[in-house]
Amino acid sequence: MAAEDKREILLEVKNLTVDFKLGRRKFSAVDDVSFHIYKGETFSLVGESGSGKTTVSRAIMGIHQASQGDILYKGESVSGNMTGSQERKFRQSVQMIFQDPMASLNERAKVDYIVSEGLYNFKLFKGEKERKAKVERTLRKVGLLPDFASRFPHEFSGGQRQRIGIARALIMEPEFLVADEPISALDVSIRAQILNLLNKLKKEEDLTYLFIAHDLSVVRLISDRIAVIYKGKIVELAESEELFRRPLHPYTKGLLSAIPLPDPESEKNKNLLIYDPSIHDYDKVPPSWCEAYPGHWVLADERELDLWRRR
Amino acid sequence: MSDDAFTFAPWNPEAAEETGYSHYSYWRSTFRTFIKNRLSLTLLIIMGVLVLFSLLYPVLASVDPNKVALDSSLWNRRPDFAHIFGTDGLGRDIWARTWYGTRTSILLAFTIAFFDVGIGVVAGALWGYVRKSDQIMTEIYNVITNIPSTVYLILLSYIMKPGFWTIVIAMSSRGWITIARFIRNKVISLRESEYNVASRCLGTPLNRILGKNIIPFLVSIIIMQTALTIPYSIGAEVFLGFIGLGLPLDTVSLGNMVNQGRSNFMLYPFQLTWPTVILAVITVSFYIVGNKFADASDPKNHL
Ligand SMILES: Nc1ncnc2c1ncn2[C@@H]1O[C@H](COP(=O)(O)OP(=O)(O)OP(=O)(O)O)[C@@H](O)[C@H]1O
Ligand SMILES: [Mg+2]
Repeated sequence: MAAEDKREILLEVKNLTVDFKLGRRKFSAVDDVSFHIYKGETFSLVGESGSGKTTVSRAIMGIHQASQGDILYKGESVSGNMTGSQERKFRQSVQMIFQDPMASLNERAKVDYIVSEGLYNFKLFKGEKERKAKVERTLRKVGLLPDFASRFPHEFSGGQRQRIGIARALIMEPEFLVADEPISALDVSIRAQILNLLNKLKKEEDLTYLFIAHDLSVVRLISDRIAVIYKGKIVELAESEELFRRPLHPYTKGLLSAIPLPDPESEKNKNLLIYDPSIHDYDKVPPSWCEAYPGHWVLADERELDLWRRR
Repeated sequence: MSDDAFTFAPWNPEAAEETGYSHYSYWRSTFRTFIKNRLSLTLLIIMGVLVLFSLLYPVLASVDPNKVALDSSLWNRRPDFAHIFGTDGLGRDIWARTWYGTRTSILLAFTIAFFDVGIGVVAGALWGYVRKSDQIMTEIYNVITNIPSTVYLILLSYIMKPGFWTIVIAMSSRGWITIARFIRNKVISLRESEYNVASRCLGTPLNRILGKNIIPFLVSIIIMQTALTIPYSIGAEVFLGFIGLGLPLDTVSLGNMVNQGRSNFMLYPFQLTWPTVILAVITVSFYIVGNKFADASDPKNHL
């Protein structure tokens, strides 16, 4: 606990709420979400489709406006208006990897431009030669051939396209990488390759990750800490092993029970837990964000906290 | 079999990436799909020949389209060897006048298309991309499109001196908005796609987002809109000429010819027929070619 407090906090999300207008009605895709990410860790955000994961990541990237709350990167607010040099530093040091490699590359631009786009934006090279060299080096880093630079995205497979997307982020020499379900649109056979690449890069480039996924099995091995998000609210947050050993919130338990087991016998007899939100009784007293064990947080009211801790 | 008959090829992860490479090219496929259709190919050739011929006619032939015959026996001649399309009420050669007229109309139409499409594309791209502009642009669109185009054309032609640029201004001041609307709708569908979000995450400035991420995807719409604006503008010039508000009478244009041919139509129908036939061929082929190109530019129709 005490050791943890000394770690440098890279990103801090404080009471973030993002509202969308649906016709006249307003709804909160992200509702009062708080967490922080330490430098050097892999922090995973897990939740089902529509739970607001992409919205969180886009709010961090400044694509969606925060309706309430604040986002701090290295202690400076990045959710409001930034000065020119702040924005420049932020855009260079925080990069994003996208979910759908088919949609996230400009079909009419060559790989050379796609990978160099950020360099052009901030003039991060002295001459054409230096830029070309940077592109070449980065393509190699992600396991692609340098002469792919002269081709168009439609000439590549999904896994290769995702590598191009990673190169586009990596060339900026970022410190913090937001990866929004970077493998869920890929063929099962190449998912491991991309995960391994991300892990390798993390070590080589000293990166910090916010890794978004929709099932827990993917993130178990790569994450230091995991947050579980349900309908725009984070319901549980703990270190990876702790969360798997001692899940508290019934939604987390449901997610855990959905992970397929390697042994077919136990898989068959497994008890699939289905989360039923009506078990909560939040009408009178709304739940609060409580620290059930050191570093293990859960959204619960007092009665539930007591009950869950006793089991 | 000895062990050294086969050796292991060294594993090279980079070489493995060489697979998954196809030779699909958007423009080549678009072009192939387009010329696969006999009708569009034929019309494209006819269109090209007509446009080229009318543009080059003053160089190829030395007949003066404004040369008036003093001898009244040369007036209103039916088509014969000397005058393939006959002559008009002042003895001017209709064949020469038809090509000069087509030339004027085509130059006019190209100019209008240039402004319509140029302004329309830039305005439409901004309209679609800059969210704040949507409300005001929609208002402008409603105001402009709610004025009937004929009323607007006639009004402006009355106010300003008849002439080439009057028609260009009258047409372009109105025509750009429909093109802008088309472009806006396409841009809105593009702006939410992930590659644009990626550019925004990288801090790409708006001008390069428009130039690199948006406009290249609009090329097929732009070509189609240009192809459709041209026959429409030629038609509008003819319409203005027909009601006497077109180009000055001493300018040879299809509009003026149709106007003069109309007054003599009962006696000398050929004076109206030939300019109209050329007009119809050009208009229809531009229109069909534009539409066929739009079909061909849709990757779903690619072979
Ligand atoms: N621009 C938007 N306008 C309106 N509603 C939106 C917008 N973006 C997302 N939403 C809504 O917000 C909710 C959360 O969406 P979000 O994309 O963040 O989910 P997600 O967890 O990333 O899901 P997935 O796993 O499918 O990617 C959804 O109900 C979605 O429909
Ligand atoms: Mg998502």
